[in-house]
Amino acid sequence: MAQLFPEWSNRVPRLLLVGSILLVTSIVFGFWYFGSPKFIDVGYAPLQPIDYSHKLHAGELGIDCRYCHSSVEVSAVASVPSTQTCMNCHAQIATDSEKLQLLRDSWETGDAIEWIKVHDIADYSYFNHAAHVNVGVGCASCHGRVDRMEVVMQSEPLSMGWCLDCHNNPEPHLRPLDEITNMGWQAPENQYLLAQEIIAKKNIAPPIYCNACHR
Amino acid sequence: MSKQKQTYWRSLNELAKNEEYQRFVDREFPENASELKDGYSRRNFLQIMGASIALAGFAACRKPVQKIIPHTTMPEYTVAGKQVFYATSMPYAGSVTGLLVETNGGRPTKIEGNEEHPSSNGATNLVHQATILDMYDPDRSRGVRNNNEASGWSAFVDAAGEYLTAEKRIAFIAEANSSLTLNRLKKEALSKFRNATWVTYEPFGEENQLLGSQIAFGRKLRVAPKLADAKVVVSFDADFMGPAVDNVRNIREFSKARTVSSTEDSISRLYVAEPNYSLTGSNADHRLRIKAADVKPLLYAVAAKLAENTSGLDVFSGYSNGYSQHTWVSVLAEDLKTNAGASIVMVGADHDAETHAAAAVINVALGNVGKTVSYLELPHADDVNQNSLFLDTVAAMQSGAIDGVVILGGNPVLTAPRDLNFAAALQQVPFSAHLANHVDETSKLAKWHVNRAHFLEHWGDGYDFHGAPSIVQPMILPLFGGKSEIEILGAILNGADFDASEAVKATWKPLLGTGFDAKWRTVLHDGLLKDYSFRAANASIGASLRNTLSATIGSVRQANVDAFEIVLKPDPTLYDGRHTNNGWLMELPDPITKITWDNVALVSPTTAEKLGIRTRKFGDTEVDMVQIEVNGTSVEIASWILPGHADNSITVYAGYGRKGIGRVADEVGVNTYTLATSSNALFASGASVSKTRSRYTIATTQDHHSMEGRPFVREASVEEYRNDPRFAADMVYVPGRKKGEEHAISLFNEQTFPDREPQWGMAIDLTTCIGCGVCTIACQAENNIPVIGKNEVKRGREMHWIRTDRYFSGDVNGDPQIVHQPIPCMQCELAPCEQVCPVAATTHSDDGLNQMTYNRCIGTRYCANNCPFKVRRFNFFNYPVEYLTQGDDPEVIQMAMNPDVSIRFRGVMEKCTYCVQRISRAKLQTKLDTGNSIKPADGSVKTACQQACPANAITFGDLTDKNSIVVRTKSNERNYLLLEELNIRPRTSYLAKIRNTNEKLA
Repeated sequence: MAQLFPEWSNRVPRLLLVGSILLVTSIVFGFWYFGSPKFIDVGYAPLQPIDYSHKLHAGELGIDCRYCHSSVEVSAVASVPSTQTCMNCHAQIATDSEKLQLLRDSWETGDAIEWIKVHDIADYSYFNHAAHVNVGVGCASCHGRVDRMEVVMQSEPLSMGWCLDCHNNPEPHLRPLDEITNMGWQAPENQYLLAQEIIAKKNIAPPIYCNACHR
Repeated sequence: MSKQKQTYWRSLNELAKNEEYQRFVDREFPENASELKDGYSRRNFLQIMGASIALAGFAACRKPVQKIIPHTTMPEYTVAGKQVFYATSMPYAGSVTGLLVETNGGRPTKIEGNEEHPSSNGATNLVHQATILDMYDPDRSRGVRNNNEASGWSAFVDAAGEYLTAEKRIAFIAEANSSLTLNRLKKEALSKFRNATWVTYEPFGEENQLLGSQIAFGRKLRVAPKLADAKVVVSFDADFMGPAVDNVRNIREFSKARTVSSTEDSISRLYVAEPNYSLTGSNADHRLRIKAADVKPLLYAVAAKLAENTSGLDVFSGYSNGYSQHTWVSVLAEDLKTNAGASIVMVGADHDAETHAAAAVINVALGNVGKTVSYLELPHADDVNQNSLFLDTVAAMQSGAIDGVVILGGNPVLTAPRDLNFAAALQQVPFSAHLANHVDETSKLAKWHVNRAHFLEHWGDGYDFHGAPSIVQPMILPLFGGKSEIEILGAILNGADFDASEAVKATWKPLLGTGFDAKWRTVLHDGLLKDYSFRAANASIGASLRNTLSATIGSVRQANVDAFEIVLKPDPTLYDGRHTNNGWLMELPDPITKITWDNVALVSPTTAEKLGIRTRKFGDTEVDMVQIEVNGTSVEIASWILPGHADNSITVYAGYGRKGIGRVADEVGVNTYTLATSSNALFASGASVSKTRSRYTIATTQDHHSMEGRPFVREASVEEYRNDPRFAADMVYVPGRKKGEEHAISLFNEQTFPDREPQWGMAIDLTTCIGCGVCTIACQAENNIPVIGKNEVKRGREMHWIRTDRYFSGDVNGDPQIVHQPIPCMQCELAPCEQVCPVAATTHSDDGLNQMTYNRCIGTRYCANNCPFKVRRFNFFNYPVEYLTQGDDPEVIQMAMNPDVSIRFRGVMEKCTYCVQRISRAKLQTKLDTGNSIKPADGSVKTACQQACPANAITFGDLTDKNSIVVRTKSNERNYLLLEELNIRPRTSYLAKIRNTNEKLA
């Protein structure tokens, strides 16, 4: 009697086993990587209602971050400037620019400009700007080189693991308090010693318990 | 294990220790607690859930776009993301309380007391805490209505201007108010409309008290107690801690006189004689249960006894009644006399004028006036008896002698005595307007309904109870375009739209004098004009008193013991029904019965037996109903056996049984106002009561979270305390604790962080805690705790993070005593919940908090099961979704949420966190201020419950600061830990209760 199954069929169970292990592994790792904030969120750069350029304002013109994000040192939120803040300059500069039509409309009608949030952490995380910028964490540490961005883009994952990297090991990310808004600040050779000094002076012990951010 | 002498019990069933109770104790959760029974089976629920999970999965692929919407022009003094506090005051039944309102981005979100205002001194009561929800009530009326059809404000102003001409006979029926501006406009209105009358109508107002002083002193004077200075307080059915006006001050002063810091301290003594077990009664050192009809005879008997050795009471000389031989009479008379000048006699606001007059005469004779009680001159009171004026006005409306009626607040169709038939009278009047929050019973029958602005939305002013002129300033534009009393009266006067803020300023100009603008800004900042109050009258007994009292003294007799009487009381949480649609107040357990979402007929165990009312079986939510028939009307209502209630007396609370008001109020409980008549507004004798065959389901929190008879509340009399100051700490044996050690040896890693500062801890003083429950509402407002409804409460799923346990002790058929004990999460250092969480969702923080991480929680409920205090709360359903995203416009209720606290999802455990959001805020602010410290100054972090507490019973602070108030409080010898023998080391400790008992009554 002829063989019902050819000889290669003996390998099928083994192949299936190996194949399914590979499949499961790739699904897990696929989700792990392609589903991670690092992959999904970094690079998020939505188009804003007004074609505002940080590269021009913060980079070329050198306006300090705090001119517009005025509450960053005292409040949880850095705040997006009111129309009035823009009009401080644009009442005189580029008064007939087409790009600024929405701004002028907002100023006339009082209707707010609806900016799209780029750096959006989950609602159950309570991040506080003041807590960070007052102890030596610079703007660029989390927001990247905004002064080089034509359109603001998320440059860090802003995930919990990413937060904890710094909370567990703050030394590489601390800078002198007068360099907070300096976009181009480079860590000096003796960064570790400098950080130790700031940690001692400001009594920094970054909390890593849950309630520090979640409540 | 326990050295406790008294037997404490929480319910009659627990006392009986019956079979059902044992079964309950053995079960993990109450019956039905984990089964869904609302129309769909669990399986089909899972199918639905499966579908929605799948859909949610696809929908979540794309990141939702969130927007940032800045101001166009930044308002002054606001910083994005920071709360701003404004001073204002809340008008309530004829006086105001000074408050501080927290606003987040222009939305008022939390109400606190104003520390600079004498009426609140930083504390609040239930209503102040919960009224924020009244403002965001989506069921509030949203516009002016004419003949029950939508209309507009300008149409109303035109119609009123056209119809209400100067010679028209107009009746203004107003809620009691103390507004300077409204009373100025009232004068203008009465001079413009020559034939108009102004009636002040409150179903539970202070009019009888004012009339009592009119008898005693010849003019209406306000009775203002100063309980801080009283050594002996005798309350004749006066529930001054309950839903009364000015209870924040009363509670604070009372607790001040009851503060024990060492064995040398002496505290005041409170006697209460009352029919119902009120909140005040539950804090009494001695309590006598008597019928409401016997309150007056008892007071007269005490007066007669006092007259034997006190001058000024000769009108009572020789008087005697059935109570004259009662032990209480001689004991009270003796204690009052011994403490003459430091005692006070108080009478419940709803008792008749003569009873109040008698109390006034006693206070004068004992020399208490100016010391423990003041009689204050009210600038806005008139001499007319408002009770009879109201009756006359309704009669005039009925007979067609009134052309127009303007009802400023209140709801007389619901609350007016039934025999007046206010509804029919209202429909006789050609023009009627009603200002109300909801399209309520009166609004539906009035020609015009004007939607009312909440006090957080309008300008106004008023005097507090002692006469501090205070400001009411808006926090937000009216959400639904509502109008205030000032605006509607001004519009009627002027026939045009009326600017209330200018009117208030115009009233205050003469008061503030020169330099108005600067002073006005100070007033707006402080919330009041400081150092100003009503003048205390020179209280001398008038000539007419003798005649008035002696004319009726012969008829004051002890009531028939066997006849039933029905007593109508304002609800402890809903008051007269003005808060019926407030979910927080509706779901707050009654301080004594622990019933939510219903009113019941309260009866004593003896009366229950007489009526054949069965004691509820354990775990059974159904109770017998009774039919109450009085003055030709009857209601059928659920019965409830309340130990300590007077026999043959039945108390019912008002404010329930509403229809067409809103999602909370509708069809809850029974309308009991129908039992009142104009001659028997407070209580009716000669009622007939019978048990019916019907049963009714009651949701109570009483039988849940049973504590198994261990000594949780520890109490002693002053003498016992002096003999053995450490009685509380030594009451239980702690195994494994070596002599001199603070704690027993632990098998677990000890989670202390000696090098981390601060470390948080709390102490709750049971001597000053009165059990009002304001902590629960404050916590609910601060922490976005949902309202879950009667069915869920019935299953034991109430969500309150801090509850108040109430234990009875003593004779169930006699005069049992009550103790209250607030229970939040104890933040155990060796927390049992943390040991059993499989996903580390509950862990310890560096500063000693037992934290709950909602996002990690997978809902096993092991933690709740292992918590010996049962303070963990589980979201069985997605309550916030129903609460916050359904209905006509969910945005309204979303605005009430505290942005600093997460909204919890289904399947997540939650619990008290010592208000970690406030701790974080304070730590951060300290860091910003000092540059290097995260140790906030003592007292700068207050938990929501602590801040709201009028009795100052809760202290909270840093345990590493040896000078902090909490450390000093915890070092008191009365300090003890709950379940110390389990060695779980709670951070919250209790200070044992001290009672100032009189040996002669013991």
